[in-house]
Amino acid sequence: MPDMSAIVNPQQRQFNPYAENGGTILAIAGADFTVIAGDTRQSEGYSIQTRYAPKVFHLTDRAVLAVNGFAADGNMFVKKVKQRLEWYRHAHAKDMPLRAIARLIQTMLYAQRFFPYYVYNILGGIEEDGTGAVYSFDPVGSYEREACRAAGAAQSLVQPFLDNQIYFKNQTPAQGSSHPAHLPLPDVLSIVIDSFTSATERHIEVGDGLEMYIVLAKGRTLPDAVTTLRPQELPSSAGDGERVFVLKRDLKKD
Amino acid sequence: MFLTRSEYDRGVNTFSPEGRLFQVEYAIEAIKLGSTTVGIRTQHGVVLGVEKRVQSPLLEASSIEKIMEIDTHLGCAMSGLTADARTMVDHARVTAQNHVFTYDERIKIESVTQAVCDLALRFGESVHDEDAMMSRPFGVALLIAGIDELGPQLYHTDPSGTFVRYDAKAIGSGSEAAQSELQDKWHSQMTLREAQVLVLRVLKQVMEEKLDQHNVQLAEVTTDQGFHILDEIALKEVIDTM
Repeated sequence: MPDMSAIVNPQQRQFNPYAENGGTILAIAGADFTVIAGDTRQSEGYSIQTRYAPKVFHLTDRAVLAVNGFAADGNMFVKKVKQRLEWYRHAHAKDMPLRAIARLIQTMLYAQRFFPYYVYNILGGIEEDGTGAVYSFDPVGSYEREACRAAGAAQSLVQPFLDNQIYFKNQTPAQGSSHPAHLPLPDVLSIVIDSFTSATERHIEVGDGLEMYIVLAKGRTLPDAVTTLRPQELPSSAGDGERVFVLKRDLKKD
Repeated sequence: MFLTRSEYDRGVNTFSPEGRLFQVEYAIEAIKLGSTTVGIRTQHGVVLGVEKRVQSPLLEASSIEKIMEIDTHLGCAMSGLTADARTMVDHARVTAQNHVFTYDERIKIESVTQAVCDLALRFGESVHDEDAMMSRPFGVALLIAGIDELGPQLYHTDPSGTFVRYDAKAIGSGSEAAQSELQDKWHSQMTLREAQVLVLRVLKQVMEEKLDQHNVQLAEVTTDQGFHILDEIALKEVIDTM
């Protein structure tokens, strides 16, 4: 008598095309600068696939994109965004403005509405009017401009900290004073570094390395407190425009 | 020119041994039969003007449409087979709207002009499976006027798909006389009103009928108001100051 149980009992198989590769990204906008940062660990479950997989990408002289979630989708998405930026440059003889990149990312994400890129994007840079800006996205393209945003594995640890330190939530200003609308660059960098060292302590998927991109508005220079950290300046297409710097730090590897 | 006519003036995608595309050249000839159209660029904006040939007293002059809006910040005036221009303007409008949709910014005037010129060259025999294409070159020239981050601009496009930027340009039947008049009178410090008056003066010179608010049309592009066609009241006001 053959075994009929395989026929009788319903069976189900499935293929999951997505993975979650951990890590965290973060961006904070200042009055005339933006900082975009991410750790470099890439993991799946309890295993670390690599200690150096960049999640923050230099797009133009005034735009930097951080991508978190499913690393394969993220890398492909960044590749496609860069391709669209080059096409735009050829068609319109200029770099795409930040707000145009933000809208482009929305249309690109929503085009995959029924098989989404499994990624959370944070776009940072300098707007046409010279102000620092952060745009955050969900995987299908909803986006808004904000002053700061954290995303990824340690979002739930970092965002409340930013709410308190950047938006001054649950803080009452001293009598006769008020909270500043924007923090200076050295303060912002300290908050970014503290956010990542803390996230590294408390979240197993965060660590190894930290990359901080600083986009500086036209005509502005780095304060001395930042220059002493020896940031690396990235080559720009026009000498007198916005400038992009990278600061790298080690994070704990355990 | 017509003596050299040969089998090479038949196919739209066949060069003659001298390296000419006759059908494109004939299309450019078609524009010279069209009504005169003038455009002037100033620091403050661009002015477009067209002559409307009202052939019959029974013809409703307001139904002649030779100036069209493309987007809020640009528009165009035409000369030649104006029916062909509808296809081009439709393409320009779609291009402009797609740009706003995708990039959340106004498209540049040169980009729209480039898109229109790309279309102008898409004639010939369509390959199987493709949508039916235009079977012949467009018989119309456009003056595309607009304002973008580079300031007020005026472009001229013709059936060969070439486009050039001008400070002042006349096309159509009276274009030779009109163009030399523009060359004499245009200067870089012109006000918008001066440009309007110059457009009308130039049109008046080349028109057979007496110019009035029914047989010409004016449009302008300004930073504040964008593209807009002057109504007959506003037009009459300019004519009265001539």
